[in-house]
Amino acid sequence: MLTKRQNLLETIKGGEPDRFVNQYEFLELIREAPKEPFMTQKGSEIKNGWGITIRWPEGQIGSFPVHDDNHKVLKDITEWRKYVRAPAVNYPAERWTEAIAHANAVDRDEKYVTAFVTPGIFELTHYLMGMEDALMSYYEEPEAMHELIDYLTEYELQYAKQIIENLHPDALFHHDDWGSQISSFMSPETFEEFILPAYKKIYGFYKENGVEIIVHHSDSYGANLVPYMIDMGIDIWQGVMNTNNIPELIKEYGGKISFMGGIHSGEVDFPEWTPEIVMEHVEKACNECGKSYFIPNLSQGGPISSFPGVYEAASEAIDMMSKKLFK
Amino acid sequence: MSKIEEVKVLVETGKSKKVAAAVQEALDAGDKAQDILDAMIASMGVVGDKFSSGEIFVPEMLIAAKAMSKGVEVLKPVMAGDGSSSLGTCIMGTIAGDLHDIGKNLVVMMLESAGFDMVDLGVDVPAERFVEAAKENNNVVLVACSGLLTTTMPALKEAVQTVKAALPDMKVIVGGAPVTQEYADEIGADGYAPDAGSSASKAKVIIGA
Repeated sequence: MLTKRQNLLETIKGGEPDRFVNQYEFLELIREAPKEPFMTQKGSEIKNGWGITIRWPEGQIGSFPVHDDNHKVLKDITEWRKYVRAPAVNYPAERWTEAIAHANAVDRDEKYVTAFVTPGIFELTHYLMGMEDALMSYYEEPEAMHELIDYLTEYELQYAKQIIENLHPDALFHHDDWGSQISSFMSPETFEEFILPAYKKIYGFYKENGVEIIVHHSDSYGANLVPYMIDMGIDIWQGVMNTNNIPELIKEYGGKISFMGGIHSGEVDFPEWTPEIVMEHVEKACNECGKSYFIPNLSQGGPISSFPGVYEAASEAIDMMSKKLFK
Repeated sequence: MSKIEEVKVLVETGKSKKVAAAVQEALDAGDKAQDILDAMIASMGVVGDKFSSGEIFVPEMLIAAKAMSKGVEVLKPVMAGDGSSSLGTCIMGTIAGDLHDIGKNLVVMMLESAGFDMVDLGVDVPAERFVEAAKENNNVVLVACSGLLTTTMPALKEAVQTVKAALPDMKVIVGGAPVTQEYADEIGADGYAPDAGSSASKAKVIIGA
């Protein structure tokens, strides 16, 4: 039996995996690494080092940045230097202790020690100024947006140096949602102009410094962005929703990039979920997408589910599909 | 190119900094305010269709709507007291338990651009609030409910059924990622739009405009 790491490599290189890669099993996420908070506990509110207020109201399934007039950090993109101050990334050594211990405890023959970075560059632009302002600014104030993105990219690179020095990760799991369920947020041309250059620098830096696998999360439509994902160095697109034609994507791009997802969290992860519903969706995804360049996974951006038991039920269903399809 | 044609192009391409001047020039050249408004509404129809077909993306729709609103600002004083262009008032909100506002905001812009007077109740709106707002405002012809989460679909149903119970003749349109035509039918909505681009044309059909 292959190790989780070997099985992953066989899957994404079009070799001979002996089972499906089961969701996030190959990634050991080092969540203890110091970083700016972009989430908060249910019922609470925080302000992070960027000045962004994050709130998780009772009754909701996640936290959101607050963008009313009193809380929006960046009020005028043309004056971004006046409003945006990157927090320091040189965290003291003791803040890294727990993360380093976790990384050292991982059997790197079995799993990838994985740095976890969120939010991404695009997300940070709309965390700072709100989604509508951010999206319009790409079109209306492109020079200022280029400057802001360069600034945010430099911040990410500084943080990446800290991660490399302290954790020596084998993999990177990086969030940046680039679309809704049915379309990308911006045109491929705009994406190519603004987002691609930033990530070529960021992902290029990680790969130059020992990171073997880049896993990028965007639980969205994004088929029109795949060529750029490949260009920027993504090995695995995690979160690929079934609103994309995943079998077609595998056929067209398999070998250059792999696809992790195919099981729409919204369709299986809800209060009335049952193991049968999860099984039905897992079976469909595995049958349609096949054994190469595909990792069956809930579209959610981490090894969790919103409702208890769904993630585990999906893992069990994937194991069952492995027994059925790998002989 | 006529001045009105110029305004149409500026709206379609989202040139918000240039539209106001172009509208003023069209007025100065003798074009009627209503004709200029109709031209801009037609432009937004084109923008909506292009969004629905995947030809353009959310930012292009946002900047077109912004450009249109800049043009409307110039027309407003000229058309003051002339209610003929309004399709009536639409109450819109994201349903209880759901904080997503981008899709809802896009629909507000598209309906406004089509000629509805919009009352935006924001996000996390209890079912009863839609009814109150429909009673508080004048000439309400449509209630629009948005929901993005699978988990909040029961709240969408509750919103539609609460409005229908209190105001049986009120038209209700629903939308959001998990919503389908079948679900809209099942919960008793009068209509459904699969995306913001098609929301205005669907809304007009529902109210018989």
